Amino acid sequence: MTAALTLSGVCKRYPAFALEDVDLALPEGEIMGLVGVNGAGKSTLLRLLGGLALPDRGTIEVLGHPMPAQQVQAKREIGLASEDMRLYGSQTLRWHMDLVRAAYPRWDEAYAGELLRRFDLRAAQPLKAFSHGQRVKALLLLNLARRPRLLLLDEPTTGLDPVARAEVLEALSEVLRDAARSVLFSSHDTHDIERLADRITFLHGGRVIDARDTAAFLDDWRRIVCHGALPASVGQWDGVASVRANGSLSELRVRGAEAVVGLLRAAGADVRSVDPMNLEEIFVATVRGGGKH
Amino acid sequence: MSPLANLPMIRLLVAKDWDLFQRQLAAYVGAGILALALIGSAKPWTFYLGSLLLLVVLVAAACFAISTSLLTERKERTLGFVMSLPVTPLDFYLAKIAGNLVTFGVPFVVLVGGTAGVILSTPVPDGLLVWSLLVFGHVLLAHAVSLSVAMAVESEGWNTFAMIASMVLVNPFIMMLGQIPAIAGPMRGEAIVWSAEAIAILSTQVLLSAAVIGFTGWVHCRKRAFY
Repeated sequence: MTAALTLSGVCKRYPAFALEDVDLALPEGEIMGLVGVNGAGKSTLLRLLGGLALPDRGTIEVLGHPMPAQQVQAKREIGLASEDMRLYGSQTLRWHMDLVRAAYPRWDEAYAGELLRRFDLRAAQPLKAFSHGQRVKALLLLNLARRPRLLLLDEPTTGLDPVARAEVLEALSEVLRDAARSVLFSSHDTHDIERLADRITFLHGGRVIDARDTAAFLDDWRRIVCHGALPASVGQWDGVASVRANGSLSELRVRGAEAVVGLLRAAGADVRSVDPMNLEEIFVATVRGGGKH
Repeated sequence: MSPLANLPMIRLLVAKDWDLFQRQLAAYVGAGILALALIGSAKPWTFYLGSLLLLVVLVAAACFAISTSLLTERKERTLGFVMSLPVTPLDFYLAKIAGNLVTFGVPFVVLVGGTAGVILSTPVPDGLLVWSLLVFGHVLLAHAVSLSVAMAVESEGWNTFAMIASMVLVNPFIMMLGQIPAIAGPMRGEAIVWSAEAIAILSTQVLLSAAVIGFTGWVHCRKRAFY
């Protein structure tokens, strides 16, 4: 299977932030979610892939095109929408649609019309009269209607009201049904990522601290609740990311629960429950564990 | 990829800038024509008022073209949208140079042509033509410097400084021309005298403008971020 994107040893330094030694690959047709706190490097990573910034070191390939050498060919097949990207306020959405249509031969006017209706946008309206949610949807329309092979989305649902968010997610879900299309998107909302992504990458402090398929993430991590005293060394055990005591109950967040449960029982602990964790809990546990698990 | 191969995208970006700014530029041309009409009426007070208005219009058109096509694009964060289109930094640079040739060049050429026409066809002394072209040459150089700074430097402060300083220098430049007998002397006469000094100044202005623009392209293509 060909890769939609590959990054090898990529570094990008700014005065107050550095993306360090990023190795990442996304097979074509898959959806990867980027999870990280503000300043983790998600936007920088997406800008590097979209040709808006050049790496200081390392190599980047997008849809088989080395970047930046073949950025024009790569950009013809990329849709890039980022939270901080703006359109021309004085111009109408129709003007923007005509501009993008002239730049992308695969522009699908019928699909653009369908998205206009679905997003309830008026093509004749200047962008300065749009609300934040409408601007986000307009940018998404301009990206989706060009029928990109790779869609790069930086925080596509941030700041949207629940209705607009649902509309955007529905449109994205439809796009994601196209097996030939690859998507890399970042979001603060781990529920969106858990729902849409095939693979997940955790970024923290400019480094990739974990990257695997979504099912493996969710299968691996468990919340274990025990009653009674635990061995003092439990926090140092392999796979234990955190231990929190609350009265006589202790809650452990672990990766590879089977082995830890065995060790707990062998140490005489009363294991009351072993429950799945959601992605947000897994991310927090991974960050607190320094990504070493 | 050669920029020639991406010529349709460069043309598209130039057309975009023209679309965005054509109305304002038409207003500058209108004001310039009013200034020329004042100059052409050849009364002392209309001549001075028209000359002043023409200078103001030229400086404003130069600053407007730069600030709207480059600084506003960066400030309002539309640059990321433009650079996400299938273009390289070199394509973007060429599009901005070509775009400015259109957005500033069109009013500039109209006003240079109009000024020459007014000088040659009205009682205003024909000898003023050389002096006028040298003043236009200064505005061209100032525009090239401001355009280069706008492309190479992101600081709004430095850009404002470069625009104001280079344009305001037109005053000492005019005073300097008045101190050169080979240029100041024939100003009031009917003969158009291209002295060695005038040719040297005009050539320097044109060559410096081209060199500054070329150097900026070299700098721009070495930038590491475009958003």
